[in-house]
Amino acid sequence: MHEFDWSSIPNALPFLWDGMKISLEITLSAVVFGIVWGTLLALMRLSSVTPLSWFAAAYVNLFRAIPLVMVLLWFFLIVPHLLESLFGFPRGSDMRLSSAIAGFALFEAAYYSEIIRAGIQSVPKGQMGAASALGMTYGQAMRLVVLPQAFRNMVPLLLTQGIILFQDTSLVYVSALADFFGAAYKVGDRDGRLVELLLFAGAVYFVICFTASRIVRHYQNKLKTA
Amino acid sequence: MITMNKVSKHYGSFQVLTDCTTQVHKGEVIVVCGPSGSGKSTLIKCVNGLEPFQSGEIIVNGVSVGDPKTNLSKLRSTVGMVFQNFELFPHMSIIDNLAIAQTKVLARTQEQAREKGFKLLDRVGLRAQAEKYPGQLSGGQQQRVAIARALAMDPICMLFDEPTSALDPEMVNEVLDVMTELAQEGMTMMCVTHEMGFAKRVASRVIFMDQGRIVEDDSKEAFFDHARSERAQQFLAKILHH
Repeated sequence: MHEFDWSSIPNALPFLWDGMKISLEITLSAVVFGIVWGTLLALMRLSSVTPLSWFAAAYVNLFRAIPLVMVLLWFFLIVPHLLESLFGFPRGSDMRLSSAIAGFALFEAAYYSEIIRAGIQSVPKGQMGAASALGMTYGQAMRLVVLPQAFRNMVPLLLTQGIILFQDTSLVYVSALADFFGAAYKVGDRDGRLVELLLFAGAVYFVICFTASRIVRHYQNKLKTA
Repeated sequence: MITMNKVSKHYGSFQVLTDCTTQVHKGEVIVVCGPSGSGKSTLIKCVNGLEPFQSGEIIVNGVSVGDPKTNLSKLRSTVGMVFQNFELFPHMSIIDNLAIAQTKVLARTQEQAREKGFKLLDRVGLRAQAEKYPGQLSGGQQQRVAIARALAMDPICMLFDEPTSALDPEMVNEVLDVMTELAQEGMTMMCVTHEMGFAKRVASRVIFMDQGRIVEDDSKEAFFDHARSERAQQFLAKILHH
């Protein structure tokens, strides 16, 4: 029977907190970039310009058919080399965090764009007609009338996707980046207390994600009754 | 003001409009009626280019709607339109619904737009509702707001697409009253409606459509007293005797 010894956790808290900050940084940046890029992809997909909608469809289908961990590895292994040779970035500069963020953002954009496309399609067609009839251009009608309504309906789904993304950030361990999970693993490995640290990390992930999805559900119910 | 010449439209092999030709002069009120599926709504939506058409031409105030070089947004900003389902913007207050296109399309200042909006709300009797949201208003009130929203753009003519069809019966009159008043002030109007009482009171001409064609286009007296086509006679018999 394994004897639990939690004593290495209190001392490691500052280090774990640094890891949590990296996890949150990746999550937030990827959510923001993912939603912006995902919105553009959704607009392209719905566009009547064939090359644009074709490109967006290909992008979404490609990224949704590849495991996330592979995308992360590509960005970790290949993209820094590309940048070095193309733009003369100094060799060996640490781009793990930025390449992880870029990988997540591009990957998540594919999922966000599908949520956003459904959101746009959920807005009655007459709204676009009414905005156009008032003389708004397509861009104005989208920006002022359709997208605000679409996003209001989508907020719960976008947040849920953000929670999934937060859990998935633990995959950056493949690039030896010390996110929360990576930090916990390192501490546990160093002190020979891997089981305790991984249990602790799991509990933290659970508390954060469970709380967040409760909040989302609460908001969702409020939206329904409004 | 509006000239239609042999306008035809089809969805695939389904012919929606066939050779529709008519004119609307300044100050005229045209009522468009006919059985459902006869193409009335499609016809009126062609006037401001919300529905594209394949052949023929529509000239609104000297501008060709079907010409690809025409700036449709600019044209539409001069033609007011009221929809069957109101289509107010649910995420904006009533006054913002009236102000948004004024500021974004006509580049009026927020103060000018709101002032104009309040004036029009006064006119349709809804000044007190200015800060509410569309969902808090009755259907009749929403449709009056929609009319005010269209008028806020100072349109040269107004298109109405079955403005009372989605309303509870007791709310129909408050909307028709606003429309009647508008007609009496000399607004050029094209109204798709089944309200024959309204047509008898204010229409200058009645257009009767059937299967995508304009079957009758006559003064209201001629239309109601001795409609020429059998189809129109049947339609009138059904709609007037109940």
